[in-house]
Amino acid sequence: MIDRLTAALRSSRADYTEIRVERTWSTAVTFRGRRLESATANEDQGGCVRALHRSGGWGVASFTSLDRLEAMVGRAGELSRAVRVDPPIRLADVPAQRADAILDLDGDVRGVPLAEKKRLIEACNGAMLAVSDRIVDTLAAYRDEVSEYWYVNSDGTVLHELRPEVTLSGTAVARRDGTIEKGLESIGLRRGWRSVQEREAGFREVAERAVALLDAPMVRGGTYPVILDSELAGVFIHEAFGHLSEADFVYENPQARDMMTIGRRFGKPVLNVGDNGAAPGLRGTLPFDDEGTPTQDTPLIKDGILVGRLHSRETAAAMGERPTGNARAISFRHAPIVRMTNTYIGNGRGRLEDLIRDVKLGVYACGAFGGQTMLENFSFTAAYGRMIRDGHVAELVKDVVLAGNLFQTLDRIDHIAGDFRWNQMGGGCGKGGQVPLPVTEGAPHVRIEAALVGGDVPA
Amino acid sequence: MIERLLELARRRVDGGADALWRRVERTAVALEWGRLKSAGATEEAGANLRVRHRGRVGVAGTTAVGGDDGGAAQVAPLVDRALASAELGEELDLVFPAHAALPSLPTFFQQAANASLDDLIAIGRSLLARLEREGCRVNVSVERETAETRVANSAGALGEYRSTGIGVSAEVWRIAGDDVLAVGDAFEGADLPSGDAVAALADAINARLDHALRIVAPPDGALPVIFTPPGLSALMLPVTQALSGKAVLQGISPLGARIGDHVFDAGFSLVDHPLRAGRAASRPVDDECVPSRTTCLVERGVVQRFIYDLETAARAKAESTGHGTRGIFGKPVPAYTNLVLGAGDEVSGGTLWELGGGLLRDVKDGLLVDELIGVGQGNVIGGAFSHPVALAYRIERGEITGRVKDAAVAGNAYELWKRVGGFGNDARWTGSRWAPSVLLEGVSVARR
Repeated sequence: MIDRLTAALRSSRADYTEIRVERTWSTAVTFRGRRLESATANEDQGGCVRALHRSGGWGVASFTSLDRLEAMVGRAGELSRAVRVDPPIRLADVPAQRADAILDLDGDVRGVPLAEKKRLIEACNGAMLAVSDRIVDTLAAYRDEVSEYWYVNSDGTVLHELRPEVTLSGTAVARRDGTIEKGLESIGLRRGWRSVQEREAGFREVAERAVALLDAPMVRGGTYPVILDSELAGVFIHEAFGHLSEADFVYENPQARDMMTIGRRFGKPVLNVGDNGAAPGLRGTLPFDDEGTPTQDTPLIKDGILVGRLHSRETAAAMGERPTGNARAISFRHAPIVRMTNTYIGNGRGRLEDLIRDVKLGVYACGAFGGQTMLENFSFTAAYGRMIRDGHVAELVKDVVLAGNLFQTLDRIDHIAGDFRWNQMGGGCGKGGQVPLPVTEGAPHVRIEAALVGGDVPA
Repeated sequence: MIERLLELARRRVDGGADALWRRVERTAVALEWGRLKSAGATEEAGANLRVRHRGRVGVAGTTAVGGDDGGAAQVAPLVDRALASAELGEELDLVFPAHAALPSLPTFFQQAANASLDDLIAIGRSLLARLEREGCRVNVSVERETAETRVANSAGALGEYRSTGIGVSAEVWRIAGDDVLAVGDAFEGADLPSGDAVAALADAINARLDHALRIVAPPDGALPVIFTPPGLSALMLPVTQALSGKAVLQGISPLGARIGDHVFDAGFSLVDHPLRAGRAASRPVDDECVPSRTTCLVERGVVQRFIYDLETAARAKAESTGHGTRGIFGKPVPAYTNLVLGAGDEVSGGTLWELGGGLLRDVKDGLLVDELIGVGQGNVIGGAFSHPVALAYRIERGEITGRVKDAAVAGNAYELWKRVGGFGNDARWTGSRWAPSVLLEGVSVARR
């Protein structure tokens, strides 16, 4: 394959050309309620060519038929020439890379019969259903893939990788009369079959919580000190800050650039944030990004001050900074754009108890049903919450929605615990029509001194 | 390829089969932060096969259908994988529909199919020119898709059509200090937009931007709120989820036992229109060989029926409503085509475009909501929602006085749909949903 790609590369008349080809084997088994929804094995393959002519724009051609490889190299070149761009696009230098990398498959999923996979997820689904007859519906899904990946570019980079991925996810729906609550479990790893054995306990726990939430009151809307657990803090930093640190948002927008000036204070000195595409074993981890740039640990906020951002080769050149290995494409169907990998809030000191000791009335917000940022505003739905009363974790509450202004909220993070962990979940990040991109988030417990909690909004 | 798939399946499978083959070509241009930046082309093809064997159903898909042999080498492995899937599958009394006449519907527009890259760039540039303003940056994308779809089954049904689709979207960004404002909108259709349609898209964005420059304090309390056609998403999502036969079958739809009940305001009617000419989601046949037809979901506030694909219908002992939708991978699912809210009269917006569709004058103190943050998160189907506003305006004494930030709206969609204060005269398409602005009474508005 590499020989075929380098030959196709030589046929290109563009000043820069890259070719990415992927072949993906995937299986998926889904249960809904007591019923098997589907068990399938799929094969997907295709490629993407990007070409750049001097004073031309990007020409991108993607295709599923590999017979069309040479034709699509020509097509990408034509498209680039058809788009005049002034000033021209430049790419930051990256030394040519050569690698033949096989990530740890940890039990190659391709060797495991579909029936075994069905048994595994059926056990997880059964654990949810067994919790109570209040569990009226479940969704339990097993998904795995192994992707063979080839990449060559006209700067001399040649890569061949085998990338595994496996995810388990579960939704438990509890119902009593008109009240419906749910619990979500999600496990996502860039590993294989062995890493997802005996995971029933987590599924049981979310079903138990869904049932418990039926009796929980809605949180009373208002402004509270809020403690985020590791999972929600991770989602928060990804959504509320991570996207702003993607350089394609600022590199050609002077006002955005002003807002994200390096050296600006974003938080108190306790706050440290980074993105690490090279952290071992995580879903967002890969040796190289989709432009052949090695991944790395990129500090974004250090002691509360903005110190870095995430780059592709193009945004790095435009801003006179160094590429960070963050140009990623969700598949051969897309060109790479600036994306996060594994985004984290760095460790502080102490434990949860130390964060809540002096909180008279507050909310401990746990887990994430979802989160969205629009501009400088964000909204996150916690899976559940617990009130904090007089320094202690108290009763369960539901419908905990956190909303706020990014800048204010980052600045109100006043205490970060020392209990960091990565949250190895499935799902993924969406941007520019490319979703779900595998990413990981990590954080310790984080305290926001005052945040708006929606839910039961007093009218 | 699907003929060969079905032919082999007939020999190896005892309960029938159906298959979908689709080939898509896409051309796209992007103007990023005010300048032309990239052009892209996509060629994609694939096949999806479903078989029923020993009473059990299995599916398999592949994109390895190209090549000189037209995917012939892939036929046997795909049937093997579908059979392996069926071996694990549940028993299902799936009946593949017999051959039926298909409604005639224009889905392929020569002008769209023939548009050159320069034509697409010209549309992008003309939109950009109408949107550029001091202190703002504009992103525009223009995309054209042509597709061939072929769907057939072992009972002799066959559907085949070519289609075109155009998407034009624009977003204007204005960052002033830490105030970030983005106003966007999109055109979607089966044919190229007319000059008037491009102008209307620009007008719709500019009007919202003009009103947004002034920031005012948000109101507070239970208030009348106008939701614009794009702003309605939080109120429509629970309803469309609850009207899916799949949710009903799972027992999680609050509307599951409400057929014939008066659940919504009498002005609320909802119809799915797969035969609306000129819409990208329109089609003569669904992805399971069921001819398309109009489905009335809610009529004058009364729940009429749910949407079904073949499998959901078989399990619910109902008929498919022609809403089977399938990709290359995975099995078909029920999904809407074009949803029309209200009377469904397609009034051209023309140039008299006004925020609120004439409903403003009825509001003394309230809010106009154009976009919310976090729609789709949480427990959607239950109807309760609580979202901060992304783009909303304060209404005082019948006029918009400025943009509000730092406010959230909350309520229960089912409760609010009983308290409709009025429907606007500004019905339009937002993606594949046709709706006017709607005034709802007693929405919780909180400032922070």
